[in-house]
Amino acid sequence: MDEDNKITIGNSKNQIIETEVPMGTVHSAAIEPYRIRLFVEDEIVKDAEITIGVNHRGVERIMEGLPVEKANSLTEKICGICSNIHLWNSVLVAEKALEIEVPERAQYIRIIVAELERLQSHLLYLAHGNEVLGHETFSMRLFYIRETVSDLLCMIGGNRVQYGVPVIGGLRPRAELDQMRIQKLNEGMDLLEEKISNFAQRFVSDPMIMSRITGVGTLRKEDALKLATSGPTLRATGVEVDLRRDMKEYDPFEFEVITQDGGDVKSNLLVRVLESLESVKIIRQAANHLPEGNITNRSWDMQDAPITKSYVEAPRGKLYHSYALEDGRVRHSIVRTPSIANIGAMQYACIGCHITDAQLAVVQCDPCFTCTDRAIQIIRL
Amino acid sequence: MSLKSYSRARAVHVMLVYTGGCNGCDIEIVNCIFSPKYDAEQYKIFLTWNPREADVLVVTGPVTAHNEKPLKAIYDAIPEPKAVIAAGACALMGGVYKNIHGDIPSEEICGPVDKIIPVDAKVPGCAVRPQDVLAGAVAALPKLLNAD
Repeated sequence: MDEDNKITIGNSKNQIIETEVPMGTVHSAAIEPYRIRLFVEDEIVKDAEITIGVNHRGVERIMEGLPVEKANSLTEKICGICSNIHLWNSVLVAEKALEIEVPERAQYIRIIVAELERLQSHLLYLAHGNEVLGHETFSMRLFYIRETVSDLLCMIGGNRVQYGVPVIGGLRPRAELDQMRIQKLNEGMDLLEEKISNFAQRFVSDPMIMSRITGVGTLRKEDALKLATSGPTLRATGVEVDLRRDMKEYDPFEFEVITQDGGDVKSNLLVRVLESLESVKIIRQAANHLPEGNITNRSWDMQDAPITKSYVEAPRGKLYHSYALEDGRVRHSIVRTPSIANIGAMQYACIGCHITDAQLAVVQCDPCFTCTDRAIQIIRL
Repeated sequence: MSLKSYSRARAVHVMLVYTGGCNGCDIEIVNCIFSPKYDAEQYKIFLTWNPREADVLVVTGPVTAHNEKPLKAIYDAIPEPKAVIAAGACALMGGVYKNIHGDIPSEEICGPVDKIIPVDAKVPGCAVRPQDVLAGAVAALPKLLNAD
């Protein structure tokens, strides 16, 4: 390895570290099953290794050969936290392949649902993070704030977790927003903005929390870029990358890309707090300037299509879906979730931490191993 | 009511085991116990991650091949009397992961849960609603309280 390519971690593999602390796959500190091996010297983590694969259900293999509508609704079951974004991206692939125009009203409502989902995902992350920190009061408060978002999603989609709003060509009829729903949405946004700002104020002015999280689990900018980290985890290291800037669906809306400099737990938590407020902003713009018209374009024909790709910004980072269409059925489906790139970041963030902070360093990268567990093949060149 | 069941009723510990679902049910169950809106802790139902402390085991997910052995081990580690709640469509019948192919068996999925460990209460839904989880926990309680 030459000097440029060397990623600066404490351990080169030939150095033998005697103490190993394995955790998992089912462990009391981790909600999802995964295995982490911590290599420890004097209670300082020198190296970490995360292994997944326990949750493998073979979603892509089940998708293979299914009618495209059915396969789309199956992608929703990849992840329970960011279900809508999987469905939306999968629908986008089909729309790209079949060249379907989506009505503008449908685009706006899709964005409202996507941003609501980002809100609930970030709030869940903050609640979980605070629980791991040991601050149960904040955790409870955040779970309570999150209920507002869950209720709004339940109002739009009819379910609290899997709402299934986008279909090919537009939206499910149930997700149409009338005046009453828009009013409820606006009220919810007012409430959320107030509550999240209150929480942020309390959070940053709490000296105990700040001393606990500042400088813990630091991920450096160069490492984050080399590991192809994506999403808020990358933005917390100071890189201004957001796929929403490149998506044409987000063109009519004004929002800022939030970045922080530290790359530690504090920056990660703050990025999510501030991004939630940006999401509130986007939802307000979309709800108040909702174009008139149809929500579903039904004039399209099924035809064969080669492999089509689509990238969107999921709450955790960059999400990739691709498949080809043959006789209306899905072929060669590939899903790549943001957490697979962020696993590297989690391992790096652990290094240099005290062993009690290792769990926090993993959680700060917002892991979702359920999404991530799919057929993964690493080819060494 | 004997002293044992009297005290048991005041500290029901729920352990959540996650066997490869989509995370949706797990969030709702954690939500049901932690979130101030549902707040199962007011009925003295607590969440624990230690099987030796638990009374009620809540299982979500379709039980993937890798999770079958750990699930049995966790079930064995829980002291008697114990109750098991299977929560969510995946835990009840394999969900979309098992049945979407019709009759073709899946190599990855070993579920549903009642094929692997005995189940006392079943909570349907995709994803389960927190209210239903509470109802499921209440339905499983007599087994704990009338054990001796």
